[in-house]
Amino acid sequence: MQDDARPKFIGSRVQRLEDPRLLTGAGGFVDDIQLAHTLHVALVRSDHAHARILSVDVDAAGALPGVIGIYTADDFSASPLHATSRMKGYQSTGITALAEGKVRFVGEAIAAVVAESRYIAEDAAGLITVGYAPLPDLVDSRIAAASDVLLHEHHESNILVSRKFARGDVAEAFANAAIRVKDSFRFHRKTPLAIENRSYLADFNKGKQALTLYSSTQVPGVIRDALAEVLAMPGHSVRVVAPDVGGGFGGKASLYPEEILVSLLSRKLGQPVKWTSDRLEDLLTTSQAFDEAIDAELAVDKDGHLLGLKAEILGDVGAYSIYPWTAALEPMQVAGFLPGPYQLANYQAEVVAVTTNKTPAGPYRGVGRPAAAFVLERLIDMAAQRLDLDPVEMRRRNLVQPGQFPYRTGSGIVWDQSGFIECLELACKGVNYPALQAERSVARQAGRWFGVGVASYAELTGIGSRMSAAPGMPINTGTETATVEVDASGAVRATFGVASHGQGLETTLAQIVADELSVPVDSVQVIHGDSAAVTHSTGTYASRSAVLAGGAAHLSGQAVRDKVLEAAAFMLEADTDDLDIEDGIISERGTNKTLSLAEVGRAVYSEMGRFPLEMRAELDLRATKFYDPEFGTTTSATHIAAVEIDPETFIVTVKRFLVAEDCGRLINPMIVDGQVHGGIVQGIGAALYEEVVHDQNGQALSASLVDYVAPSAAETPKLEVLHLDTAALGTLGGYRGMGEGGTIGAPAAIANAITDALSHLNINISELPATPERIYRLVTQAIEGDT
Amino acid sequence: MASHAGEAKLIAGGQSLMPMLNFRLLDPALLVDISRLPAFDQITAGERGITVGGGARHYALMRSPELAERLPIISHTMQYVAHMAIRNRGTIGGSLAHGDPAAELPLLAVLLDAEIHITGPAGDRTARAEDFFLAPLTTDLSEDEILTAVTFPNLAAGSGWGFEEIARRSGDFALAGAGAVLTLHHGAIADVRLAMMGVDETPRRLPAIEAMLLGRAWDAGVRAAAVRQVREQVNPMSDLQASADYRRHLAGVVAGRALDAAWAKGQTL
Amino acid sequence: MIRKRPIILTVNGSTYARDIEPRRLLTDFLREDLGLTGIHVGCEHGVCGACTVLLDGTSARACLCLAVQADGREVTTVEGMGEIGALSLLQEKFRKHHALQCGFCTPGMLATAHEILSDAAPLTDAEIREALSGNLCRCTGYEHIVRAVSEALSERLGSTAAGSAPNAG
Repeated sequence: MQDDARPKFIGSRVQRLEDPRLLTGAGGFVDDIQLAHTLHVALVRSDHAHARILSVDVDAAGALPGVIGIYTADDFSASPLHATSRMKGYQSTGITALAEGKVRFVGEAIAAVVAESRYIAEDAAGLITVGYAPLPDLVDSRIAAASDVLLHEHHESNILVSRKFARGDVAEAFANAAIRVKDSFRFHRKTPLAIENRSYLADFNKGKQALTLYSSTQVPGVIRDALAEVLAMPGHSVRVVAPDVGGGFGGKASLYPEEILVSLLSRKLGQPVKWTSDRLEDLLTTSQAFDEAIDAELAVDKDGHLLGLKAEILGDVGAYSIYPWTAALEPMQVAGFLPGPYQLANYQAEVVAVTTNKTPAGPYRGVGRPAAAFVLERLIDMAAQRLDLDPVEMRRRNLVQPGQFPYRTGSGIVWDQSGFIECLELACKGVNYPALQAERSVARQAGRWFGVGVASYAELTGIGSRMSAAPGMPINTGTETATVEVDASGAVRATFGVASHGQGLETTLAQIVADELSVPVDSVQVIHGDSAAVTHSTGTYASRSAVLAGGAAHLSGQAVRDKVLEAAAFMLEADTDDLDIEDGIISERGTNKTLSLAEVGRAVYSEMGRFPLEMRAELDLRATKFYDPEFGTTTSATHIAAVEIDPETFIVTVKRFLVAEDCGRLINPMIVDGQVHGGIVQGIGAALYEEVVHDQNGQALSASLVDYVAPSAAETPKLEVLHLDTAALGTLGGYRGMGEGGTIGAPAAIANAITDALSHLNINISELPATPERIYRLVTQAIEGDT
Repeated sequence: MASHAGEAKLIAGGQSLMPMLNFRLLDPALLVDISRLPAFDQITAGERGITVGGGARHYALMRSPELAERLPIISHTMQYVAHMAIRNRGTIGGSLAHGDPAAELPLLAVLLDAEIHITGPAGDRTARAEDFFLAPLTTDLSEDEILTAVTFPNLAAGSGWGFEEIARRSGDFALAGAGAVLTLHHGAIADVRLAMMGVDETPRRLPAIEAMLLGRAWDAGVRAAAVRQVREQVNPMSDLQASADYRRHLAGVVAGRALDAAWAKGQTL
Repeated sequence: MIRKRPIILTVNGSTYARDIEPRRLLTDFLREDLGLTGIHVGCEHGVCGACTVLLDGTSARACLCLAVQADGREVTTVEGMGEIGALSLLQEKFRKHHALQCGFCTPGMLATAHEILSDAAPLTDAEIREALSGNLCRCTGYEHIVRAVSEALSERLGSTAAGSAPNAG
C-alpha cells in the first residue's frame, strides 16, 4: 500500500470469494471431475503388517468383464523415490507405487485393478488372492528400536534418525534446582482426517506426451517435481492441479504411492485413470502423526524460575520415511520446540525416530509441537503445584519478556518479538481468571470435579530460506511467488503457487492485492494450486501461505500498481506522483481527469501505439515477485480451558475454551477465527477422543469413523478467540502464520485442566487422549492406592 | 426369501445393512426392499398396547402422539438413537432384526416386554422380546421370515420410567445403557423392571435386582446395593472404546440413574 | 452382468428416468449419473454426513440408500437449495458467519440445517449442536456453523411468526 492509503480490505471481515460456489454445490473437488473414458482403480491392500509377498493370483479377477488390467510392482520399472536428508546417520526408505516383494503395514497396496467402473474394479479386487510369508510384526517402537528384524533390509537398524543435543550447563542447572519434576508422557497416534478422502485423477495426453494429475494435495509443486523425477519427464510436461481440496491438515502434504500409480497407469493405458480413497483406506494409509513417548524432567528454582530441561523423545514414524519431509520431521520438531516460549537456557534432548509396521507418519497440524507443549506445560503445572504457585503466575515469571527478543531458546530456535506475556494477560482478562477460579471453588464445594488449565506456547511460522521446514530435508521451502496482472479488460488476476484447501486464500490474498492496486476485492481473481501456473512453488503447509504468498502479493501488487500509474501518467500527461487509484479508477489530483483500469489495460495491450517505442519493451501490467522472510516469524498464544468431569462416568466436558493469540496483523479476522476454531477442536479431539489403535499384529482397530472418534458439534464447546492484532516486525505486511496453533495449545490446556479437576486424587495426566477409560483407570488406581 | 435361501437380505431403512454392504462385509445376491409394504409403517394404539409396524421409522416413534402419551419412555429414548438423518430412515424392524446389543430399541423391547410379530412361509408367529435376542447381531428371526410389527403392552397406570446411556459422542452406540420402569405403592416399589444394554451379549433384564427392589423405597442404601449388584450381574465385553471393567462400572452408574429417574417420576405420577 | 432396473425420480424438481444396477448407491447415481457433484462421499458408512440429501423433504444419508430405493421419491441436493447470486437464507448465513472452510462437508451440513429450519422449533445452541451432530466438519470447529444456523433459525421463526411461508432453507 501507499503509505498514506489506509487499507480498505486488509483487516476487514471480507466475505469469502470461494463461498458462493462451495455453498451451491458448484465446487470442483478431484472426485467431482469426470473426464470421458476414465478408468477406475481399486487396490488390493495388505492385511498383514509385515510379510513377504509370495504370490498374487489374479486369474479370476482378470476374467471379469470390464476389467482392463491388473498390475503389481513387477509391471512398473520406475525406481523408488527417496526422502533424502542431510542429517547424519539418517536412513531413508524408498517410495514406490505398489509394494515390492514385501509389505510393511496393513493397508499397503499390493495390486491395482483397473476397470471400467469402480464397482467392477472392487468386484475384481475381491477375487485376487495374495500369498504371504508372515514376518514378525514390529508394532511397539521400543521393541522395533532394539530388534534384529529389520523392516528395510538395507538398513543397519530400525532407527531412522538418532540425535542428541545440549545447550548450556544442564547438569549444573539440575544440581542447583530447588525442585525437579518429571514424568513419562505418551501422546498417541492420530490421523488428520480430512472429510475429503484422498483422490487422484491422472490424464496423460498422448499427443503432447504430457501428464496432468488432478490431486487432492496441499503441495502440487512438490508432487510435480517428484513425478517429473519418477516418470523421467521434463517438468513442463507434468502438471499437478489441486482444485478444490476438502481439507488437508498435513495429511495431504506428502507424496503418496497412489499419485505415482495413477500417473504410471494413465501413461501406460493412454486414458484418464482415477483412484479415490474410501474411508477405510484413508484410515489405513493417509499419513498419521503425534505418536511419541517422551520422558522429560524439569529443574526449577525456589521462586519458580525454570533452570533446565532434559528429554528423551521416542517417535514412532511408521513403515516409511515420508516424502519429502522425512522421518525426522515430527520427533525433531518435538525436541526443537520443547523449551517453549520460556526463558530456559539449559536444555538437552535425545531424539530417536523408529520405523514400525504401521502407517507412515507425516505432517499433521502442529507437527510435534502439540506433544512438546503438552509435556512442558504439564511439567510447569507440576512444578507450580509443588511450589504452591498459581499456574498463571508460574508462566508470568518464566515467559520470555518483551525486552528479551530476539531470544534464543535452549534448542537454538530464535523467537522474534511476539506477545508472549501479552497473550497470557489477555487470556486471563478474557476468561476473567479470578472469576473462573471462584467458579471452580464453588463447584468443588458442591462435589463437582471442575478444573482450569492454562497453556502457553510459541511456534515458528512463515519459515524462510534460512530455516528448514523439516530438519535436514533437501528441499528449501523458503520462498513463495505471486504474479499479479491487469489484462486488457481491466480485470485483475493474481497467481500463486500455494494451494488453498479451506484456508480462504482466494479471499485473503485477493484482499492484499486489492489494497495494493486499490481495486474492489471481488474484482481480483486468485489462481492457486496449479503447478503449471507458476514456475516454482511447493504449496500450503506449515503455516506459511499468508506470510510467504501474502508477502509476495504485496510485492507484485506494488510493482503492478507502479506500472499502471506509469502508463496512466503517460496517457493523462500527468506525473505519477499526482495520481491516485480508488476503486479501480485512476485520477489526477486537483483535476477531473480520470482513467479506468480497463482503459489503461486496453491502451497498453490493444493500443500500444499510443506509447512511445522505448516504453513498449516493458509495457505490460504484470509483475512476478518472490518473497523470502528469511527466518520466519514467531506466533504465540495462551489457551485457557475449563473442564468438568462426571465423577461417576469420567466423561470430560469442556465447559469453556478461550484463546488469546498473536498472529501479527490480521488479514481477515473472520477467517483467522475460523482457523483457530478448527485447530482447537482438532486439539480437543487429540486431548479427549482421537486415537489410532493397532493391535499387537499391527491390525488397525480404529478403522472406521465409529471407531476413530472425532468430535462432533455436540462434543464441542463454544469457542472464544482474542487477538493482539499488532503487526509483526519481521515480515512484509506484518503477518504471522496461524493455521496450526489451535491444535498446539489445546491438548496441553485440557490436560492441565483435567489434572486440576482430579487434583484431590493427585492424578497427573501424562497420556493423551484422556479417554473416559483412561481416567477411570487412573481414578480407580488412585482410590485403591489410598485404601 | 425362501427361494433364495442364504443369498437374500431384507432391506427397509438400510441404516444398519448398507454400511455392511458398502464395506463388502455382506454380498447378498438378492436384496428385498420391504419398506413399501402397505401399512408396514403404522403406529396403532390398541387396548392392550401400541403396535408399531416393522417399517415405522425412528423419527415416527419419536414423534408419535400415541407413544408420547402412553409410552413416553420410547419417545424419550429415541433421541439417543444415532442422528437425525439416520432416524429419518432407520426402522424399528431393522433395528430389532439387526440385534445390536448396544442399541436402544432392542433394550426397549426387552424392558417393555414387547411382542414381536413375525411372518414367514410357516405362517405368523409372535416372539417375546426376551427370547428374541440370541447373541450379538443374532436373533430368533429366520432368513425366510419378516418382522412385521412390535406390540408394546401398556404400562400400569402411574408407572415411573427412566432411561440412561453413556456414549463417547452424541449418537454413538452406548458403552452402557439402562432402562427402568416401576410403580409405587405406599412409598415402596410395587413393581419394577430393569433392563441393560451394551453390557452383555444381548439386552437383558436383571430379575434378581428387580426382586431385591420389590417392597423397598429407593433410598441411598438400596441404591448402593442395586448399583453393586448390577455390576456383579452383567458380563460386558472389552472393545476399543471401553474395557469390560469400565463397562461394568458404567452399568452400575446407568442403572442407578435410570432407577433414580423412574422413582422420581413414579412419585409424581 | 447384474440386471438393471428402471427408476423414475424427481431430483431438485426435475424428473429423471434411468436404468440402473440395483446395487448402485444413491450417492453414485446423483454424482456420476446425474452429474450432481454437490454432495460428497466421506465415509460410506453413514457417520460423516457429507452425503446428506433431503429425501421426500427429510434428511437422509445418500450413501446408505440404494438409488432404486429412491424410485418414485423426491430428492433435494444442495444444487436445489439456492444458486450463485440467489443464495438461500441458510447459504447466506453460512457465508456471513464463515461457517465453511474447505466446503466439502457443507452440502450435507446444509441439508441437515435445512431440516432444522423446516422443523421450525426454537432451539438453544446446545440443541442445534445436538441436531448437527450427525455431520462431521473437520475445518470449522463448528462454532461458526452453530452461529449461522442459529441466526437463520431465528430469522425463520421471526418471519414465520410474521406470517410468511415456512419454506425452509
